[in-house]
Amino acid sequence: MTFRDLVVISGGNLRRMKLRTFLTSAGVLIAIAAFVSMLSFGAGSQQNIERQFNKLGLFTTMQVYEKDNGREDRGRGGREKRDKENKNNGKDADSAVAKLDRDAVERISKIPGVNLAYPYDAFSVEVHIGDTTVESKAQALASVAFQTKIFSTLAYGTAFSSDTSRQVILSESLLKKAGIDSPKTLIGKPIVVMVKVSTIDSGLTHILVDKGESLFDRAKRIHYDSLLNKKYRSTVLRTEANELVKRFVNGFLNARSVIRDTLILCGVRESGERTGRLRVENVIIPIETAQRFKTGGLGGSPMDIMMAFMNGTLFASPEKSGNESFSQITIDFDPKVPYTNIKNAIEAMGYRTFSFAAEFEEIQKVFLYFDMALGLIGFIALVTASLGIVNTMVMSINERRREIGILKSLGAHETDIRALFLVESGVIGFLGTTAGIFFGWTITRIAAAIAKHYMEQEGIPGIDLFALPFWLIGIALAVGIGVSVVAGLYPAARAARVDPVAALRND
Amino acid sequence: MTMTSHIETKNLSRHYRRASHTVQALDNVSVSVGKGEYLSIVGSSGSGKTTLLNLLAGLDTPTSGSVDFDGASLSSFSRRQLAAYRAYKIGMIFQSFNLISHYTALQNVETALYFNNTLPAERRRLAMETLERLGLGDRIGHRPADLSGGEQQRVAVARAIIKKPEILFADEPTGNLDYDNANHIASLMRELNSEGLTIILVTHNLELAQQESQRVIRMQYGHVAADVQTSGAGARPV
Repeated sequence: MTFRDLVVISGGNLRRMKLRTFLTSAGVLIAIAAFVSMLSFGAGSQQNIERQFNKLGLFTTMQVYEKDNGREDRGRGGREKRDKENKNNGKDADSAVAKLDRDAVERISKIPGVNLAYPYDAFSVEVHIGDTTVESKAQALASVAFQTKIFSTLAYGTAFSSDTSRQVILSESLLKKAGIDSPKTLIGKPIVVMVKVSTIDSGLTHILVDKGESLFDRAKRIHYDSLLNKKYRSTVLRTEANELVKRFVNGFLNARSVIRDTLILCGVRESGERTGRLRVENVIIPIETAQRFKTGGLGGSPMDIMMAFMNGTLFASPEKSGNESFSQITIDFDPKVPYTNIKNAIEAMGYRTFSFAAEFEEIQKVFLYFDMALGLIGFIALVTASLGIVNTMVMSINERRREIGILKSLGAHETDIRALFLVESGVIGFLGTTAGIFFGWTITRIAAAIAKHYMEQEGIPGIDLFALPFWLIGIALAVGIGVSVVAGLYPAARAARVDPVAALRND
Repeated sequence: MTMTSHIETKNLSRHYRRASHTVQALDNVSVSVGKGEYLSIVGSSGSGKTTLLNLLAGLDTPTSGSVDFDGASLSSFSRRQLAAYRAYKIGMIFQSFNLISHYTALQNVETALYFNNTLPAERRRLAMETLERLGLGDRIGHRPADLSGGEQQRVAVARAIIKKPEILFADEPTGNLDYDNANHIASLMRELNSEGLTIILVTHNLELAQQESQRVIRMQYGHVAADVQTSGAGARPV
């Protein structure tokens, strides 16, 4: 008996029992539809992340950090702990940590496989566009960075002509915030960029003169006779000390010097990106041009002051140009070189790295567990549906005992009978699975359309949350048909055991 | 002239256990059937005729003794060899026709060739040829319910002979037929026997047995009570 014969006979038998076949297949259909739609969500999410990684070239991007800037040491007491460890090792705290400065950029650039390296260097700015002022973070960027996928795609205009050009690139979202609806028209137009910095000098100056009152005038107001009275002495001294601190803080925060420059808008980016650790700011200024805005001091942002306080650099003297250190360096490497080679080379230099390729591997692992969990739910539904197949097949065998006896009398071997019923349950599974895949796909299309609609309403670019790759269709077919055939094993074995003498008896 | 033994039983017994007692359906039966012989087995209900037929056809397994086909014992056959024996060597017809109700006449006849490696196109051609030979050329698309009893039995005969078996086992083939149809089937079997087919017929009808076959065995309580040569139409020199 050939497989074709088995399929033809099974098909004929199932056609004869249309309603029963439909209802049994419907169970498989619902289970497979659930299985497909759930895994389709997992596959879609994974595809979207992979697409985003590819778009930004993150598979060949790595971030480099100073070791003491690491998350494992972040938090209160981290620095003290490291200093203590370094002292125990007989090292000076500063010399033990490899700095991320221009030399480091140079050295990292020379590692085999590294295409280019550029620092991430950000500061707070105010951007004046027409009558509107927008506060934002600005990023000083080397023009070589425009060779990478992260920066190479601009919505309008071009990249910087050089690291010293007096140009600026703004994001669409910043321009939107400034009320610009057609960013293209601004290309080539001047943009005023301004930085306000607080310095120790301004703080100290305000100790001498604050709000029109000199320190001398203040001294004249002190009741010196109170100092002779033990009861009032400490109160007077505390009051005057507080006044000095108040004058300093007032000067440090409010009397900031202003650095202003007019730059030409050469390009517009789609929007500022923050994909995990990848940071692209809304304002991008050529790295050498940006030096003008970085003469020391702190920006007006409370976050800057807070960070400076936590890092212990609040009262640090301004670093000379060329010696400043960066919070991170971004590298772009050759896709043919394994990321682990680059990572090992950089870590050997005393830095900490973050690889997007490694992060993607972790994401894939998470998705694997996610898919397994979703698949398990669908599988449970399928197992439930398979009980329907067992029931249908057992009923069918009871009704067709004589037919089985006839086939055996004609020379059918037990294997033929078993195969006949297995193919029959497999055909039920195939019908239910193919319809289930189509039904599941339809559900995902509807859900995707609804999700896209809501995303667009929220101003988020609409993406397709679901995907139906060939591997998922293959898995659904294999699981659907496989479970159906397994469900047919018991009924098929029962059919093969039918005694032909008893089945053919006239009663 | 002594006929070569085609199929024979040696001390064949078949006992069934029924709750507290054992039923001896067949007890120590030894019968030999020659090639091309037409043997009838008669006896009352429960005498063991059908049990003997099922054992000869390899559908049932003896409690003791053996069935030898062309010198080889069916007991030594594997399940697959037994299936092949039924698929290639023997044909069976039954009192209740045992056609598959949802198949057409043509499909019922074709079914016999599913298990002996005949190609689909060849199966169809042979089935149509056989049905036409039995006068059912215009009934190939009919289902059993649309055929008369005689036609159904002729379809069953067609199914039994399409594979050109060496032995035809017929269990009460005329039991459910009227006189004319019974005669038609009887003459058909006579014709097949005249072509060299060995026939073993189980029947209640002693007259039919004596008239059609060359030899009649009478079964009683699981034993062979009598084994006689006949002088009927089927009689020929042995």
